[in-house]
Amino acid sequence: MSGGVDSSVAAAMLVEQGYDVVGATMKLFCHDDDLPDRPCCSLDSVNDARRVCQSLGVPHYVLNLESAFGRDVVENFVNEYASGRTPIPCVRCNTFTKFRDLVVKADGIDAKWIATGHYARTIDSELHRGVDHSKDQSYFLWGIDRAVLSRMLLPVGSQTKAETRAVAHKLGLEVIAEKPESQDICFVPDGDHTKIIRQRLGADAPSLAEGPFVLSNGAHVGTHGGFARFTIGQRRGLPGGFREPMFVVAIRPDDRAVVIGPREELLGRGVVARSVNWLVDAPGVGDRISLQVRHRAPAAAAEIIRLAGDEIELALDEPVAAITPGQSLVMYDGERVLGGGLIERARGTRALPVRAA
Amino acid sequence: MPEPIYLDHAATTPVRAEVLEAMLPFYGPKFGNPSSVHRWGRDARTALDEARERVARCIGATADEICFTSGGTEADNIAILGTWRARRTEGRRGIVTTPIEHKAVLEAVHHAAHEGADERICRMTKEGVVDTDSFRDALGTDASIASVMWINNEIGTIQPIAELAAASKAAGALFHTDAVQAFGKVAIDSRAVPFDVLSISGHKIGAPKGIGAVFIRRGTIIEPLFHGGAQDRGRRPGTENVASVIGFALAAELAVAEREEEWTKLEAMRTKLEEAILARIPDAVIHGRGAAHRAPHIVNVSVPGVDSESMLMALDLRGIGCSAGSACQSGSVSPSHVLDAIGVSPDLAGSAIRMSIGALTTDAAIQRVSEVFPALVDKARGVARVS
Repeated sequence: MSGGVDSSVAAAMLVEQGYDVVGATMKLFCHDDDLPDRPCCSLDSVNDARRVCQSLGVPHYVLNLESAFGRDVVENFVNEYASGRTPIPCVRCNTFTKFRDLVVKADGIDAKWIATGHYARTIDSELHRGVDHSKDQSYFLWGIDRAVLSRMLLPVGSQTKAETRAVAHKLGLEVIAEKPESQDICFVPDGDHTKIIRQRLGADAPSLAEGPFVLSNGAHVGTHGGFARFTIGQRRGLPGGFREPMFVVAIRPDDRAVVIGPREELLGRGVVARSVNWLVDAPGVGDRISLQVRHRAPAAAAEIIRLAGDEIELALDEPVAAITPGQSLVMYDGERVLGGGLIERARGTRALPVRAA
Repeated sequence: MPEPIYLDHAATTPVRAEVLEAMLPFYGPKFGNPSSVHRWGRDARTALDEARERVARCIGATADEICFTSGGTEADNIAILGTWRARRTEGRRGIVTTPIEHKAVLEAVHHAAHEGADERICRMTKEGVVDTDSFRDALGTDASIASVMWINNEIGTIQPIAELAAASKAAGALFHTDAVQAFGKVAIDSRAVPFDVLSISGHKIGAPKGIGAVFIRRGTIIEPLFHGGAQDRGRRPGTENVASVIGFALAAELAVAEREEEWTKLEAMRTKLEEAILARIPDAVIHGRGAAHRAPHIVNVSVPGVDSESMLMALDLRGIGCSAGSACQSGSVSPSHVLDAIGVSPDLAGSAIRMSIGALTTDAAIQRVSEVFPALVDKARGVARVS
């Protein structure tokens, strides 16, 4: 429970449905530099979660998962940026912290279910998109252990955000009913992720050092202040003076180069992902699925053309912009999440299926 | 659920009925400000002065040696920073303490270090007692203050306060002891033991939260932390918390009067609990058990492979309230600096549970915990833990 409206209402709905609810807030990072106005994860939020539980008449605990979170999520976040990729810490938090470490804590108190305020649904032990597509968070959940699905309860996933707020008012949870949405990464409260990179890797980290802006033909067109400040598809902070709008199209940590180019160069016709995790029985080469390469992107039709160990390659029916290494590739069959992986690279050309011999 | 069992008396205790009763007039008809000249002021002032004498008598002190505070933390801060600041022009820079002190002492010492003090943390034995040789070395010839807690709040070990106070005196240093856990458990007599400053707290002995006292031996100069009034001889300005002081005085007297009987009772219950735990869980480790002198009310037990956070939840869900390590602001469990200081491995420290018995503890409660705790351990050992 973050102290926000979604997890609070989730808890309240379960209490109403007759579950024996135990509230838990995970302490994931140090609150030393506490920012009072943060919507999530601050000490105030812990206090809000505790108050909500108190008003629901259920116990509440604060679980210290700081060291595991630091190792599994924050460290990886920093290292990914240092390798020129753009990580999504929420995915790793779901995979390793919420739906692995927290499940262990749940086991410790014989809790059969694990409930969160995610906008997603479980139906017959399969993961589905949330009913409110504008809030759908299934994209962030592809990495969890499939076995956990049968223990997940996602009460708010079957309603809209507006309905969630209405339930909060109806249940008298005025403390949290109109809390603002959390937008940023919880451990990067001011939106500046370079701060934590500097903290962890030092101010002289190569990813924060000056490097060249180059075009894909190799032409040097400027200097940037560290490639960790950039992500694929970014327009802000690039040199001007081009006829067409320019985007970051690649990041090359080896020579610290940020490659920029016109929109055409941003398009991928294929995508390779690794660390693939399936939430259903794995499909095969030649199967057609729909996929998302970023949160809130429209689903794109694709065909699986290669499966090797935990790697997958897909060919896209139509080109997709800004396929970004480090982001998640999530595969769907309509509303149903099939699985996902970490984007390794985009392919500019549409490859042909490689069928097992 | 059966009747809940409170096993966290080292954290706080309920206000005793007679204490609450004694306080009530001071929220009502005797509400006056002790500094006022009129009858209401006099009523409050005489009660306050009398309470000061009563608290003083409990530790063999005189009334002018007792300064009321908001509790143990403020008392510790006055003791460390007040004496350090008053003496810093004398050329003595060392502040000697132990790594198992309450954070109120450790952080105050740390703060003094920012003001130029030389922070000297002495070694502990693995039994949880100060290494006296290390303590003497740390004193050297230029220590200003030494501070060692009488009874440790996490593991219950009793420190050789008389010896340490004498050593400090011989080295020309002031000696402070945090006696928050010790008061009401061991005999404390300022005429018998040469400590210069001593901290006590009300809510550990059946008085309310927000009241404590610091004993400042006659002739010991301290620089006040607060400014803006002549109360308490200027050592602690601010309108006195009269009702709480009255409650504190009565609770202190009761604690001293009942001390030996209470010790015998608590020790018997503690022994029974420990024996039951060790019989059912042979590899359980009871921290501080090897110390020559232990408090009768604290059992700090680690069971290898059992996560203390989960165990605390499981116990609470069965109505048994314990603690682990020291609770931080958010209410989550942090690793104990005390267990770390006495050489307990992080793994074992991560499974520590502190049970502290007291006024609310019955034989039936001990019996039930003796059954429930091992049963939970058996269950937990079938479950993995977050590494």
